[in-house]
Amino acid sequence: MVEQFLGLKLRLLAGAFRRNPWQLVGLVFALLYGLGTSVLVIAGLVSLRFIDIEVARSAEVVFGAVVLVLFAVLPLVLGLDDALDPRRFALFGMSTTRLSVGLGLAALLSVPALVILLIALALIATWSRTGLSVGLAIGSVPVIVVTCVLTARIATSVGAVLLSTRRARDVTMVAGLLLIVCALPVVALLARVDWATDGVAVLSRIERVVSWSPLGAAWASAADGAAGDATGATWKLVIAVAWIGVLAAVWRALVAHALVTPPRQAARRRYAGLGWFDRLPATPIGAIAARGLTYWGRDGRYGMSLAIIPFIPAVMVVALHVGGVPLAQLALLPVPVICLFLSWAVHNDVSFDNTALWLHLAASVTGRNDRWGRLLPVLLLGVPVVVVGSMLSAWAFGSWAVLPSLIGVSGCILLSGLGLSSIMSAAFPYPTVRPGDSPFAQPAGGGSAAGLVQAFSFLLILALSAPAVLFGAFGLLGWPGWHLWSLVAGLGVGLLALVLGTVAGARVYDRRSPALLAAAVRN
Amino acid sequence: MDSGGAETASTAAARPGRPTRSRAAKKPAPAAPREIALRLDGLVKRFDDTTAVAGIDLAVEQGSFYGIVGPNGAGKTTTLSMVSGLLRPDAGSVHIGDLDVWRDPVAAKRLMGVLPDKLRIFDRLTGGQLLYYNGVLRGLDRATVMLRSRDLAAAFGLEDSLGRLVSDYSAGMTKKLSLAAAMIHSPRLLVLDEPFEAVDPVSAANVIEILRRYVTAGGTVVLSSHTMNLIERICDHVAIIVNGAVLSSGTMAEVRGAATLEDRFVELAGGRRAAEGLEWLSSFSD
Repeated sequence: MVEQFLGLKLRLLAGAFRRNPWQLVGLVFALLYGLGTSVLVIAGLVSLRFIDIEVARSAEVVFGAVVLVLFAVLPLVLGLDDALDPRRFALFGMSTTRLSVGLGLAALLSVPALVILLIALALIATWSRTGLSVGLAIGSVPVIVVTCVLTARIATSVGAVLLSTRRARDVTMVAGLLLIVCALPVVALLARVDWATDGVAVLSRIERVVSWSPLGAAWASAADGAAGDATGATWKLVIAVAWIGVLAAVWRALVAHALVTPPRQAARRRYAGLGWFDRLPATPIGAIAARGLTYWGRDGRYGMSLAIIPFIPAVMVVALHVGGVPLAQLALLPVPVICLFLSWAVHNDVSFDNTALWLHLAASVTGRNDRWGRLLPVLLLGVPVVVVGSMLSAWAFGSWAVLPSLIGVSGCILLSGLGLSSIMSAAFPYPTVRPGDSPFAQPAGGGSAAGLVQAFSFLLILALSAPAVLFGAFGLLGWPGWHLWSLVAGLGVGLLALVLGTVAGARVYDRRSPALLAAAVRN
Repeated sequence: MDSGGAETASTAAARPGRPTRSRAAKKPAPAAPREIALRLDGLVKRFDDTTAVAGIDLAVEQGSFYGIVGPNGAGKTTTLSMVSGLLRPDAGSVHIGDLDVWRDPVAAKRLMGVLPDKLRIFDRLTGGQLLYYNGVLRGLDRATVMLRSRDLAAAFGLEDSLGRLVSDYSAGMTKKLSLAAAMIHSPRLLVLDEPFEAVDPVSAANVIEILRRYVTAGGTVVLSSHTMNLIERICDHVAIIVNGAVLSSGTMAEVRGAATLEDRFVELAGGRRAAEGLEWLSSFSD
């Protein structure tokens, strides 16, 4: 039985190489890259043999904990296809224990398992200091390998269950992105540590906690042995082995669960009432706006582009702060940036409808109604963002005097951006991800035209906002009277651009609507 | 169809004792020439170097049930897209009554209900939301839309599905919902492209009944299909389109002559291809 599982796994691995030549070249490069990284890591671990024991121990345990976390998280984030899904063996009628043992052993035959085996072997070199530590390091090899592989195996299965629906996969990808962005402050914090003087102290503080947890115990045992702490070493080995027992039990329970549970289907929800359609007036503009708002919540393509908006300024603030700009001045940045991306979010709105646009043609929706209906959701969201966000920013900046400038600049960006988007989406739609596809899918076509349209609309928004920005800068540089002029210029230019933009956009739409549908049919 | 049983019951309850096929047989030939509801003059559409529609002339009388049949790729969908104002013709004109669809689109489209084939719909809305969206875009007020949505849902057997996302519907249910949406503004003319594709027989009978009543009340239906039997059974007029041209049109009796519509169609479309060269298929390999 076990031989059959191992044989199956070997054939699957061999199958990975049976592809078309270019994929094979890519795979070989990926393997070389992985191999190169492993060699560097192993060299680093071996070099730890020759430095101070406390430093070596802190570095090794923290490194080990990070590796284990990667083994747990990567299968979830990458959403790997589980070739040895326990469910696929459900019809063979094997006992759960035999199946879980067989699949667990088969998981040892994989590239990540090979890498972790090499790393664990390198640790023997790291701790070749005393007889006890060498013995413990050798004993730790199977413990480390089994812990990592079982963790990855469990994560893959959990991922396969949790992420079996498309929506769940999208949500996880977004969550993963957000996690990365949220990790930036941590990175910024770490970047501010003066590694030359405090580095070791920080690491050893982390190590002291982690080494007693299942995350670090397997890695810390040999280190304790090298330091002469036989009791600590024993206990940590016990913790590590006991953790393997826990993992094995979890794995068996997962297999047992998977065998009797059909693949998850997306739940079919029922909606009472008409949602946004009940809340907005029963006019074409109201209905189109309600449709837009409804889609924001239900269509991953919109959710994705909106969810990402708050994080762009966050990244910018962190990056600039690390670069040395004081936080108080950076407080002025987020609201205008959010407005820029918010107004820009609808510049290709017609393309998102794909061929469903025919309904607007058949019902002869006028350009004016179509344009305003598409802008309204962004206005409903954007105006509160401008007002509340500017107040928060002024408070964080520490002076209410900048409030008019903030509202002027961000209001101008929002309104003129919407005006431009109105023209853009009717005049230069470019292919985008089709309805129902993953927001991360690549649209068919697109290419350079899309990039040009995006760059052009961005530049134009910035140009239109230049007066408000300039007057606001005068205000900041010591002539506070200019703040009010920034407000006037910003809202004035913004409103004018919005009105002219929607009028022009409506005209383009009225003239080109059959062409827009024809373009959507080609997409 | 996942709620077939419920539909049968509701259909039967909606029209007690009414025999489904009685009308096709006793439909009288029109006595006096009626008003022309839809007229196509020299309609042409080219894509790159292929001509999809090569000069189509048709006149559809008001109150007729007009079928357009043709093989795959004959230009049915292209023609109906130009009729419904979705695809700009390269030459020729389309008139609804005396309104030119491409000169006076707003007024002309108001008279028309459209069911396109192979175009998407806003399927992340619920069925109820989609009906409402159609109605409001067509200029109806909230109370009217709600009332008509309820009636249409009952007539098409969709009452239990209005709260569900259209993307979760089966193909047949989506078709029925789109058909209901096309009727919500009570148009004079219905332009339906393949309205019965993927619709189960019970629902199809129900839809046909709804369309017949609509025609009896003076409405005009133009529909395309490649199922000859269905067209022959329900339509009183028919046009056969092959390679973007009308090969024959008129009342059902005129077009089919003594034969069935299918025989006539195959004859016009180039005859049956003798299944030569497949002799090996009848010498079974075992």
